[in-house]
Amino acid sequence: MKNNLIRDFEAASRRGLKHRIEYFFIHTYKPVMDDAIIRYFDTMGDYRRWCETHLPGWLGYGKKI
Amino acid sequence: MERRFSYRQAEKLASVFKKHRVKYLFIGKSGAIILGFPDTTQDVDVFVEKSRGNCRRLVRALENMGYPLTADDRKEMLRGKDFIQIRSGPFDIDLVFAPDDIKSFSDAKKRSLLIQGLPVCHIDDIIKSKEAAGRIKDRESLPRLRAFRNWLRKKG
Repeated sequence: MKNNLIRDFEAASRRGLKHRIEYFFIHTYKPVMDDAIIRYFDTMGDYRRWCETHLPGWLGYGKKI
Repeated sequence: MERRFSYRQAEKLASVFKKHRVKYLFIGKSGAIILGFPDTTQDVDVFVEKSRGNCRRLVRALENMGYPLTADDRKEMLRGKDFIQIRSGPFDIDLVFAPDDIKSFSDAKKRSLLIQGLPVCHIDDIIKSKEAAGRIKDRESLPRLRAFRNWLRKKG
């Protein structure tokens, strides 16, 4: 497992920044999260509470599912 | 329109933010990827200095990049927020003004790295902020991120 991770890191370091950005940034629709054009939160606490109460748990933005 | 963050968009962001003198750093898994971390992310997380002047420059830069901000959006951004999520414009972006457990922007800036024109938080700060946030998605990625940090240290 550890060796596999190291192999991954070494392989990624051989790829350039362009490659990493092109292949590692993906886009999929996230329900609720992506349904507003813009959202503002006065505090990080407000944002975290909004994630806990509004987003489906499986998105992983809460502390528990 | 392509919603995925591309290399061309990264270059554009760096160039426009530089032109408008926006003080910012990539953070989160997007920052880690720029540092070399092999994983995927859907989020472009940008840590922006929370000062009125910087927010004013940020508004101009975002408009320059093609984000359609309304008068209300501009007003809210200038009022000072901790977190802004934008899902219109060239790509989705999360603007973080107070990442968890990061003392200040200037503190993080001192430790930051510049990777081919992209300013990025130090891996220690990326990990620290994820540890403090403690969300499910953070807890899932932390073991690999810590292993990556160890590998970076050994590599020198």
